[in-house]
Amino acid sequence: MSDPAVEVENVAKTYGETTALSGVSLSVGEGEVFGLLGPNGAGKTTLVRAITGTTAVDEGAVRVFGSSPGRIDRSRLGVLPQSFSPPGRLTARELLSYYGGLYDRSRPVDAVLDAVGLADAADTRYANLSGGQQRRVCLGTALVNDPDLLVLDEPTTGIDPAGRREVRRRIADLAAGGATVLLTTHDIDETERLVDRVALLSAGEVAATGAPSALVREHGGAPRLVVETAAGPEAVGDAYEVEATDRGLAFPGVDPSGIGGVVEALDDRGVEYAALRWSRPGLEDVYLRLTGTGTTRVTAGSLNEVAGDGGGGSQ
Amino acid sequence: MSRAGRLRAQFGADWRSFVRRRTAVFFTFLFPVILVVIFGALVRTAPTGGGLFTEAPGWYVPGYLAVVVLFTPLTRIGSEVARHREGNRFEKLATTPLTRAEWLLAQTLVNVVVIGLAAALILALVWALTGAGFAASPYLVPFVAAGVALFCGVGALLGRLSDSQDGAVAAANAVGLPLLFLSETFVPLDLLPGWFAPLVNLSPLTYFARGVRAATVGGAPGQGAWTGGSPATNIAVLSALALVAFVAGAAAIPRTE
Repeated sequence: MSDPAVEVENVAKTYGETTALSGVSLSVGEGEVFGLLGPNGAGKTTLVRAITGTTAVDEGAVRVFGSSPGRIDRSRLGVLPQSFSPPGRLTARELLSYYGGLYDRSRPVDAVLDAVGLADAADTRYANLSGGQQRRVCLGTALVNDPDLLVLDEPTTGIDPAGRREVRRRIADLAAGGATVLLTTHDIDETERLVDRVALLSAGEVAATGAPSALVREHGGAPRLVVETAAGPEAVGDAYEVEATDRGLAFPGVDPSGIGGVVEALDDRGVEYAALRWSRPGLEDVYLRLTGTGTTRVTAGSLNEVAGDGGGGSQ
Repeated sequence: MSRAGRLRAQFGADWRSFVRRRTAVFFTFLFPVILVVIFGALVRTAPTGGGLFTEAPGWYVPGYLAVVVLFTPLTRIGSEVARHREGNRFEKLATTPLTRAEWLLAQTLVNVVVIGLAAALILALVWALTGAGFAASPYLVPFVAAGVALFCGVGALLGRLSDSQDGAVAAANAVGLPLLFLSETFVPLDLLPGWFAPLVNLSPLTYFARGVRAATVGGAPGQGAWTGGSPATNIAVLSALALVAFVAGAAAIPRTE
């Protein structure tokens, strides 16, 4: 990994009786796209604020490009706060010009408008833009100074799927351009699509850190076949490990090559079923398991899809 | 360019935001007009004694000006701070080179322009409707600027303490109303209880009223209970208080919501 753009060492932060962060350590390399993933209240925003210098930590140390956040040259930082809403009566162009004017050097407004895909809505007031367009303006305000580190706190929250896709595409473009990106989200799909590495936060602590694929390998558990049936586990006999689920029966550890054997066993015993679904664990399973926010969910995919795909990821 | 550029950018955004809020613009100028028309032209003064207004019309010029110098910054900055908090704008600005003092200074400059225009309108109305005699002293400019800066600072403090725009406006009214009537603006000292007179000196608006009165109508006979101080003395006190309030207000501006 390259030199760290962000280093967080054993950071703790409390608000009254509430522990927001406890012993958090992580490192983000320059040029890396790093995700902070966790449920509401996990401490993501507090950690972002500690990194951007907008809140002081109680214990531990935070360094951004080798300096404490309060001493960093702010022109190197581009931040999109959570639920950020700029003045609504200014147009997209005026807003980008305003935020750009706060820096000694800024990118041309038209270039930023192009970068966030708002050239056609440049002279529309912020309040009159769609949710996705508004979020892209907000993203643009984080880009006007051409920052070395881009910190995005839930950049796609509150916008529709098309808007989310557009914002993700813009972030991916920025990452491809070499910017270091730190983003928080509780959108697993967003994390898997965008980040090089991710830290899973739970109750103010880092539950795991790594590339999404590595986390899945390490913490995701085994693939499983789910048979939608009214029959109970006793109907299958002892040939397979079987768990009862709300959908029917689950066969953990069954690879695609073993599906035929399960089908034969079901047929031999006269077990009637409506469908077979096989899945391999994904980041969502890791998330749910490590953050303790739910039981492992089987993501659905039909047997035909499995046979036709055979590839990685949840089906 | 740095600081000047940042101020220009912030001032431009604030100015556009204000002038595009049509109702805010309308009522900012309508409020003092209503006041002058009601108290200056309809109720009128009774300088021979008794009645609501006992002094010559010119005596009330500082009071009319105080309405906008006091209330407009208190309510505008208070609600602007609340609006910024609700939109997480301070958290964003805290990650830019703009300082909190620069933000408040830009807001103050916008208010100086807006209130300067409103003050000019008030003076014209007072002259036209009440027949008040007063001098268009150059001192009016620093008095209005210092008064606006002072109450912008106080407005920032109220915005910090309030949890919403509504709360900020309510707090501004609660603070502003007693100041308006107990600072030698509309009520002469001799109409107040003797024990209360020293408390009038605690109000920063008193120095605005005394100074503007000294500059515009002086202490000439028939101008009522003018309690002294030259314009220079009062502007010095007002400026010192404005500096303290501005620094306190800038420090009170939050970095997150």
